[in-house]
Amino acid sequence: MFESSQNVMLKPTESWRETLLDSRVMELFFTVHRKIREDTDMAQDSLQCLAQLASLHGSVFPDEGSQVDYLAHFIEGLLNTINGIEIEDSEAVGISSIISNLITVFPRNILTAIPNELFSSFVNCLAHLTCSFGRSAALEEVLDKDDMVYMEAYDKLLESWLTLVQDDKHFHKGFFTQHAVQVFNSYIQCHLAAPDGTRNLTANGVASREEEEISELQEDDRDQFCDQLASVGMLGRIAAEHCIPLLTSLLEDRVTRLHGQLQRHQQQLLASPASGSIDNKVLDDLYEDIHWLILVTGYLLANDTQGETPLIPPEVMEYSIKHSTEVDINTTLQILGSPGEKASSIPGYNRTDSVIRLLSAILRVSEVESRAIRANLTHLLSPQMGKDIVWFLKRWAKTYLLADEKLYDQISLPFSTAFGADTEGSQWIVGYLLEKVISNLAVWSSEQDLANDTVQLLVTLVERRERANLVIQCENWWNLAKQFARRSPPLHYLSSSVQRTLMKALVLGGFAHMDTEMKQQYWTEVLQPLQQRFLNVINQENFQQICQEEEVKQEITATLEALCGIAEATQIDNVAILFNFLMDFLNNCIGLMEVYKNTPETVNLIIEVFVEVAHKQICYLGEAKAMNLYEACLTLLQVYSKNNLGRQRIDVTAEEDQYQDLLLIMELLTNLLSKEFIDFSDTDEVFRGHEPGQATNRTVSAADVVLYGVNLVLPLMSQDLLKFPSLCNQYYKLITFICEIFPEKIPQLPEDLFKSLMYSLELGMSSMSSEVCQLCLEAVTPLAEQCAKAQETDSALFLATRHFLKMVFDMLVLQKHNTEMTTAAGEAFYTLVCLHQAEYSELVETLLSTQQDPVIYQRLADAFNKLTASSTPPTLDRKQKMAFLKSLEEFMANVGGLLCVK
Amino acid sequence: MADELDFTTGDAGASSTYPMQCSALRKNGFVVLKGRPCKIVEMSTSKTGKHGHAKVHLVGIDIFNGKKYEDICPSTHNMDVPNIKRNDYQLIGIQDGYLSLLTESGEVREDLKLPEGDLGKEIEGKFNANEDVQVRTE
Repeated sequence: MFESSQNVMLKPTESWRETLLDSRVMELFFTVHRKIREDTDMAQDSLQCLAQLASLHGSVFPDEGSQVDYLAHFIEGLLNTINGIEIEDSEAVGISSIISNLITVFPRNILTAIPNELFSSFVNCLAHLTCSFGRSAALEEVLDKDDMVYMEAYDKLLESWLTLVQDDKHFHKGFFTQHAVQVFNSYIQCHLAAPDGTRNLTANGVASREEEEISELQEDDRDQFCDQLASVGMLGRIAAEHCIPLLTSLLEDRVTRLHGQLQRHQQQLLASPASGSIDNKVLDDLYEDIHWLILVTGYLLANDTQGETPLIPPEVMEYSIKHSTEVDINTTLQILGSPGEKASSIPGYNRTDSVIRLLSAILRVSEVESRAIRANLTHLLSPQMGKDIVWFLKRWAKTYLLADEKLYDQISLPFSTAFGADTEGSQWIVGYLLEKVISNLAVWSSEQDLANDTVQLLVTLVERRERANLVIQCENWWNLAKQFARRSPPLHYLSSSVQRTLMKALVLGGFAHMDTEMKQQYWTEVLQPLQQRFLNVINQENFQQICQEEEVKQEITATLEALCGIAEATQIDNVAILFNFLMDFLNNCIGLMEVYKNTPETVNLIIEVFVEVAHKQICYLGEAKAMNLYEACLTLLQVYSKNNLGRQRIDVTAEEDQYQDLLLIMELLTNLLSKEFIDFSDTDEVFRGHEPGQATNRTVSAADVVLYGVNLVLPLMSQDLLKFPSLCNQYYKLITFICEIFPEKIPQLPEDLFKSLMYSLELGMSSMSSEVCQLCLEAVTPLAEQCAKAQETDSALFLATRHFLKMVFDMLVLQKHNTEMTTAAGEAFYTLVCLHQAEYSELVETLLSTQQDPVIYQRLADAFNKLTASSTPPTLDRKQKMAFLKSLEEFMANVGGLLCVK
Repeated sequence: MADELDFTTGDAGASSTYPMQCSALRKNGFVVLKGRPCKIVEMSTSKTGKHGHAKVHLVGIDIFNGKKYEDICPSTHNMDVPNIKRNDYQLIGIQDGYLSLLTESGEVREDLKLPEGDLGKEIEGKFNANEDVQVRTE
């Protein structure tokens, strides 16, 4: 029933108490493991058993005391087994699973209730194993092994640390500090080059390094190792007293060396400009060191956040507050404000706030980079390091720059003086960051990822009003806006996605606090040129003739990209302005569909503008505005449909992106439908005051647009196209949405469409991914409910649902399926059973009649009886449905495996 | 019914190029590879070593003869982009394997060959069945 890789926690019933709590049973498992541990396969199985025992919980324990005894006994057994042995490769993952289970399953108060000495030995052992697995994982990386067992074990242990230290109320303050220092140091050591570290050293100390080709698909370290870094960052906070100064001194040392190394290269180049080959080994080592130091610093100083406001970690805040009395604020500001100078050259540099000094160490890296660029040494720089710098600065700015003091009980004085509201420090740093962004966009336009991280930093600077207020006071910002509006190099060289985000940032900046005159001027600089240029192009008399000229096409493309960026900048307080601005364009865009009907890439981009507007804005639009958008979308679909009539796609190398238009249309329809789920609008509330209230006589509804669209899309979809994952997922998402939102419209579909829709659902349930299957099951429920409501027993939908009953029945009873799907399947199943009670009985009868074995027969028959006992006769009542779902769960546990074993 | 048939043979006469930074090129756009104007069908980047600079790998199809060309270059390089013109014509006749095409300005072009393969057959079939056929050149 369960996949073997799943880590299932052991929660047996009370009847197991005597067996499992008998210490001899546990000892037996440890003894077995000690005897067979050298046999790779058997060792894994025995460790799996122990991992199960390590996860024991639930009613098997009569009281806390028994849980404490069990845990103490288990830990003793574990320590006896692993202390003093050399762990085999094949044991690493198993042992880390045991530890991870213990820490996850046993509550903190139980952990701390075991004898102190035992608990200390356990934590010491954990620290020792973590460091040792970390070193072995690093070796695996050097040897480029396929099966990274130590890496997996290391991941598990680091995650256990995170669990252990996160809830630290139960431990006295500083309990974990020494362990945290140990694990943190070893992580840093593994990631630094010799002599400080052991990176790329094999077991016997030989350095190995090959320059391999890295494709764009390779994940960045900060994503690939985000879990490790999160744990190490957390440990770093716990031991802030040690770790923050350590990172600072390592970084400052690397900055000085990098600066020196670059200077030597420059002198060499000046002396003999032709000498081509420079050995970059030293530089690369420095870059890699700095790379890891920045990543760890980023994770130590700030958290990953999605959506919510990131807070300064309490440990970091406390650390800074604790030392604030010994700190000289002016020197601290001086360290921060002079990234061009060596930190140690500033008098009194040791009496500065350590957190700010760590930030300033990274600003020093950034400054060395900027100076190298000015000295024409860009070719020697590492784009990866450039990426790390802006990634860090973004993360830092999000959390620390103009932090909202109301969110903290206490705020460190150095922090609020250096980058709080209304300080010179914050204005200075905003200016510095902006300069960095502008320089990067010019210098690194050819490094897409770096440019992308750079504009993300820019977005961070303007997405909150408080920071944006400072940004727009910089002359640079206005220059950037003007330069972008002119579409001249270097910004013009940026890739389209970067340009889009840049537009987004420029629009967001426009909502900063400015007086009316300034605001007027800003929009005149940013948005008006866009409109003007666009109108100038399309209103030329000979536009039809020149539309394919490269210059014209580029102008159109740039405008469409910018429109997507503007839509992306939508926030609740600017939607009124942006929607009105974009609506003017949308109508013109439909005209462009006609002009560029033979230019698929332009058509796609036009549809994309609609997709973005619908995606970002529909949830804020009141009825009248939504209708405007529906109307525009309907016209777009009509034009698209007309132009696609009879069109053939005759490219032999049919690839996914050939069908981009189809994908986009489906996305558009899905976005339009999403308003039925997420709607923040308060009948045009946000638009009030902008326009006189319109009489709302609803002429076009979401249903009209979407069904028109579906009529259009369904015939274009084919079974072959469903082989493309993105098309397949979008398609099923769309049809599920439709079934859920407009079930009453489904029976009214033209016959062919209806049939192909039903066939799609059938296909989705039987031969697609489990995700798609789940979507289809979710679609079936409302359809069956619709049938029940309509009470027509001869409709096509009624017949179709009967077929679905059989399918879902087979799926649940006879086939292996993903357990995550049971709920969706159960709901669909119950609704279908209600609708087709006779057929359901028949299915059960048929199944039972094929059973030869009387024992199995009886077990099944009983199970089926129990299944429907709580809901006879089945009705579409919520309470009954819930009861049925509960019974279904028991049913699955009882006989689920019985019939699917073949 | 007006059938829209895309095909990519023929000489549109335009040959001037302009430079563009490699990173700003797009898939489905155009570029000159090994001296030939190509439509970009594949574009990917890579780097040598983690701290290396991006290189762009381009695969293009010659817009005239359908041959495949590849190139790899630093992403800071400027590449030549051909000036591509698209024209739509009304098909008014087929003679000796050449098409007679009516331009929008009312002139007739007869220098374009009927494409080979299925596309050519389809154009011919449709034309013989008196269907209205539009062709497009790039």
